[in-house]
Amino acid sequence: MTDRPLPVPDAVSAPYWAACARHVLTLPRCSQCATFTSLPDETCPHCHSLDPRFSFEEVSGRGQVRTWTVIRQSFLNGFDVPFLLVDVQLDDQPHVRMIGRLLDGPETPLQLGDRVVVAFEDVTAGVSVPAFALEKAA
Amino acid sequence: MSGEFTARNKVAIVGYAQSQVVRRGTETVGMTALKTAQAAIADAGLRVDQIDGFVAAQSLPSAGAHELIDGTSFVSADWLSRHLGTQPSYCVGFTGWGQLSGSMSMAINAVASGAARYVLLHRALYNPPGKYGNNPMTEARNERQWGVPQGFFGPIPPIAMVANEYLRRYGGTREVLGRIAVEARKNGARLPWSYWYGKPLSLEDYMAEPLLNDPLCRFDCDIPVQGVGVVILTTAERARDMPHQPVYISSYASGYPRNHRIPLHWTLDEMEEAGEDLGKRLWSAAGFGPRDVQLAQPYDAFSPFVPLWLEALGFCPRGEAHRFIMDGGIDSDDPRSIAAISGGGTIGNGRLHGVPQMMECYLQTAGRAGERQREVTNAVSSYSSPHLGGGAIVYTNTP
Ligand SMILES: [Zn+2]
Repeated sequence: MTDRPLPVPDAVSAPYWAACARHVLTLPRCSQCATFTSLPDETCPHCHSLDPRFSFEEVSGRGQVRTWTVIRQSFLNGFDVPFLLVDVQLDDQPHVRMIGRLLDGPETPLQLGDRVVVAFEDVTAGVSVPAFALEKAA
Repeated sequence: MSGEFTARNKVAIVGYAQSQVVRRGTETVGMTALKTAQAAIADAGLRVDQIDGFVAAQSLPSAGAHELIDGTSFVSADWLSRHLGTQPSYCVGFTGWGQLSGSMSMAINAVASGAARYVLLHRALYNPPGKYGNNPMTEARNERQWGVPQGFFGPIPPIAMVANEYLRRYGGTREVLGRIAVEARKNGARLPWSYWYGKPLSLEDYMAEPLLNDPLCRFDCDIPVQGVGVVILTTAERARDMPHQPVYISSYASGYPRNHRIPLHWTLDEMEEAGEDLGKRLWSAAGFGPRDVQLAQPYDAFSPFVPLWLEALGFCPRGEAHRFIMDGGIDSDDPRSIAAISGGGTIGNGRLHGVPQMMECYLQTAGRAGERQREVTNAVSSYSSPHLGGGAIVYTNTP
């Protein structure tokens, strides 16, 4: 049993967390303009539709590290410190960025632009949280 | 704001008061606000019954466990005017992100439009008991479900990530941030009202401090305090016959929220773009530019805001502020520098949300800075961040 704060799926986000449980990363996509966004809201941030009807569609989960920080003291319970958070720009669409833990560990040497791919942490039964791992050199 | 800012130099600051800045109050913050307001009114040579406008920057610390009680945990314009015993014709509070810049713009507009003759602007900060920001959250609902489950939460990681990107992209080191913190504490240590009075910080101590969220340590963050700042504003015409050198407001500009992201996910790109846009509007409205300014007081609640604002306000090209800082460009002991934290900022005073920046611009431009006095005709202060609704204000004594 984890002390980490667990996501509480709602009517909109339920498909997202269901996909995470299957280790599939999805992003909300506006049904009006087909643009991905970071999180679903009342309106689409691109076409400003008042009726975006976002659907969660699978994305590659690959991207580049734009920046990071090592969390040595956390305001949240349930996380062992230190851990490393990366801010990743996904390949799937420019400007879509996502923050997650880098599972390679807190002392991983990093440079801006390093390649990462989504990974999942199984935090408790039926709940998996997206994270990232360094892409293995081809 | 359009290029035709019709209130340019039509409104002036004519008096001020600054309370002691303390970690915990021995009186309610409302009482501190009342005493500070009375002192500012007297400083302007006015009577309480002449104040017909009240503007508050009244958003409060949202972190920490405390009840929201007007006069105890925050101080609204209504509360202050009622307890001073006035019947104002204009009484409003600003609740957006750009607390100090937003409330100043409301005060300036009120005077310029004639909604009030003499406006009292106050900012009161309360420090709730308990550990600031500690959160025993077990579930992440609504917007929080998009960041908290991954461990992204709290006020420091967003700016730590931006600072890391800035330093890596442009080639600076952690010492840049250290220079800022040391400069803030040097100047704060010289201010009798500051929480850090007599307590400067050495660069050695800064560099030896363990990191909280790389590259930031606790010295990069301001400390929660109780304190109040007040200024009185009126028209340039009325200001001529008042006791102190008027400080005219040449312009102001606010940023606005940028891209839609998860809560507190900031990006360097967005901050730079928002800052550049804000800077253009600010100087266009003022009718002059950063080359004509002798004093800049950028917001410093977290040290990385300082280089970002210096670039946004046009004192350095994008990506160059870290070199400017390392070369002594902000050193208040150098009369040729822009002395960017001569008023101590919030790192050198305590978490007063932009009050030290405004107060230092007023005092230096009015010639009232005492031993700190510099040659200043035009000055600029800023608050919060341009991508969050933060803003900037330009001051002059020579309209
Ligand atoms: Zn759309």
